[in-house]
Amino acid sequence: MDTGPHIVSAFDNDLIAIQAKISEMGGLAEEMLSRALEAIKTRDVARAEDVIRMDDQLDALEHELEDMAQTTIALRQPMAQDLRVLLAALKIATTLERIGDLSENIARRAMFLAGQKRVRLSSSIVRMGRLTASHLSEVLDAYVTRSTENARSIWLRDVEIDDAYNALFREVVTYMMEDSRMIGLGSQLLFVAKNLERIGDHTTHIAESVYFIVEGQHLGDDRPKGEPLSLEILE
Amino acid sequence: MNNLTLKDPELEYRDNKISARGVNVSYGETLAIKNVDVDIPDKTVTAFIGPSGCGKSTFLRCFNRMNDTIDICRVSGDIRLEDQNIYDRQIDPVQLRARVGMVFQKPNPFPKSVYDNVAYGPRIHGLVNNKAELDDVVEACLKRAALWREVKDRLHEPGTGLSGGQQQRLCIARAVATAPEVLLMDEPCSALDPIATAQVEELIDELRLNYAVVIVTHSMQQAARVSQRTAFFHLGSLVEHGHTTKIFTNPDDQRTQDYITGRFG
Repeated sequence: MDTGPHIVSAFDNDLIAIQAKISEMGGLAEEMLSRALEAIKTRDVARAEDVIRMDDQLDALEHELEDMAQTTIALRQPMAQDLRVLLAALKIATTLERIGDLSENIARRAMFLAGQKRVRLSSSIVRMGRLTASHLSEVLDAYVTRSTENARSIWLRDVEIDDAYNALFREVVTYMMEDSRMIGLGSQLLFVAKNLERIGDHTTHIAESVYFIVEGQHLGDDRPKGEPLSLEILE
Repeated sequence: MNNLTLKDPELEYRDNKISARGVNVSYGETLAIKNVDVDIPDKTVTAFIGPSGCGKSTFLRCFNRMNDTIDICRVSGDIRLEDQNIYDRQIDPVQLRARVGMVFQKPNPFPKSVYDNVAYGPRIHGLVNNKAELDDVVEACLKRAALWREVKDRLHEPGTGLSGGQQQRLCIARAVATAPEVLLMDEPCSALDPIATAQVEELIDELRLNYAVVIVTHSMQQAARVSQRTAFFHLGSLVEHGHTTKIFTNPDDQRTQDYITGRFG
């Protein structure tokens, strides 16, 4: 439904400020993910340290958003779509904060990897990372434009990230089996891949929130998922 | 294990107490209500909401023929109270109003004692045989209106001496004293402070166990708090009618959404 302005214009300002805060958090989370991936690719410790610093900013933004949403709910008694915008904002803020945590974790592992020998595997990770980052960026656009179509499309395409994760897992395990000196480095890479896979899942949660704001209904729980990871490779 | 979902009383099946079909109401040349169909379920609170002048009070007043008292007011269409057309010539409006009680915006107790305010209806309708029975009815009604505890020692003081909230609950006690089936409330809390409002809202929730309650309210929060069904009126038409939870979270009609979210121009 298209909605016009409120009779009380301060209410509109509140809602606009809250949505702008989400966009700010989204932009920061995207930046953290992209710098963390850059740190892995370029073995740049300083860049990884940036990400760790940025996580504090993201946490602070989340608290600001919670305060704004709380005040708006208490003072304006929002209904219908307004209420959904606020509920979704709280949920998306938490989700973005988690995406920030996972990106920070990737950055910490990048610092470790920077001191290890360069392996071809890192580029597979960076590819998977690009895919994850593009989904995150698309879902944040869908939030701003309120596009349920795009939100649903990202939600369905998370399976691509799951598949990339499974492929990477097999690849890393194969390396570790071939050369036991790779185990330390390989485990770090597996954690990075797992973090990216989790970021993909969180991205689908944001897509679900976008759908909920517009439609007032839940997107459902029959999202296609990647094949469960088979460990037969280890046998 | 207990089911910990939000209680959704409207999902229980209720018989309709009142059915209105194709109702039009006009004041002279002005059409105030346009072709409204609505069902009022028994043992349920139905809220009528809408901007001032949308016709919600006019429509409410059709249910006990209060509009008969206005000369230029014409009501057409079919309004049935349990399959009986209330505009039928056989129907005595006074008897009808005993079955369909009403509570108004401003508390309007009779200039009589607390006791006589409640006893008035049962007396004139001959619902009691002796003083002892009448005493019982008065006590039961004051208890039902959650007022007994506060007035039991001042039953013979004037009703007008009570506080505003108490007076309104006295009017509710008076309305239930004729053993009605339906209670109409036209903005029953708009002259009350928040505490008295909360007491009346709590009372409305209890009254629902015994009556079909229809409440007209300007406060959307109040409609959301007390009702299970909500009907939204705009410019004399019924725009949307449904479960209160749906109307306030995800209404179907754009006009409903604009009104409940405070965007109505």
